[in-house]
Amino acid sequence: MNYHDDDALDRALAALPLEEPPARLHDRIMAATVLRPAPLASGWEVWLVGTLVAVAAWCCWLLVSSPSIVTRVAAALSDALENAGLTSEYTLLWLAVGVSAAWWVSQLTVPASRKIRVR
Amino acid sequence: MAVAVAVEPPLAPPVDDDQALIAAALAGRSEAFGELVRRYERAVYNLAVRTLRDRTEAEDATQEAFFKAYRALGSFRPGAKFSTWIFTICYRGCCDRLAKRKRLSGDELPDRADPSAGPAVLAERSDEAQRLRAAIDALPDKYRAVITLYHLQGKQYEEIATVLNLPLGTVKTHLFRAKEQLRKVLTA
Repeated sequence: MNYHDDDALDRALAALPLEEPPARLHDRIMAATVLRPAPLASGWEVWLVGTLVAVAAWCCWLLVSSPSIVTRVAAALSDALENAGLTSEYTLLWLAVGVSAAWWVSQLTVPASRKIRVR
Repeated sequence: MAVAVAVEPPLAPPVDDDQALIAAALAGRSEAFGELVRRYERAVYNLAVRTLRDRTEAEDATQEAFFKAYRALGSFRPGAKFSTWIFTICYRGCCDRLAKRKRLSGDELPDRADPSAGPAVLAERSDEAQRLRAAIDALPDKYRAVITLYHLQGKQYEEIATVLNLPLGTVKTHLFRAKEQLRKVLTA
């Protein structure tokens, strides 16, 4: 073939048949995309479950290694509550009042201002 | 006399344009994505073969391109051309592979040596198509990419520029030089 002019080269390029891909390629693509089985859990779920399992295992090990840990943890918790003042009835009462007031305010619907002009 | 003519209920129109196929694939119809793959796998494979000059790697690059497209199908811009999008994904993947290859083999070996590219081998080839393919393979990377896309997409210079992420003028210059080099090799 004569490739001396631009048109001849263009024609040759246009007539150049595409190479056939291997027969297995289509199946490979489909297997990697639509036919790929969905994962049982997403990444963050696996991490969450793994962390929970690790924490549970650590707690079990603590309980087994020193059986008195439960009483010690309970005592530490009650000390912390007492230090924070959460054992006093008045503190709990005022906390309850505060939470209910916050909830009540959050439920209020404020009417739109009448100053907004309708154009 | 009235003649009763049995009229068949109209069949659901075949999904023929890419946008509809993408919408169907997003709606969970796996056969729609299969049809997209069937339409473009050959062209994408050819782009990968010409860019990488290695059929096994081109097969992997094609699979990877469709995998990436499948995962990002939801972000496909309506109105855009699927061919341009999939070619862009494939070409970027091929560029990454070429860069990795360069890092592994050293700068003096930019591409995998292709035994089919030498002029002596070219002269022996009787098949015109093979001769032309070998001449394309012998082109430098940037010209090879432009001429391959010109072959795949025709004179859609804007699409070629989008895929290669090059200005339109550069694409035209590369194409002109690529053709010049091809002519030189083929008429030698």
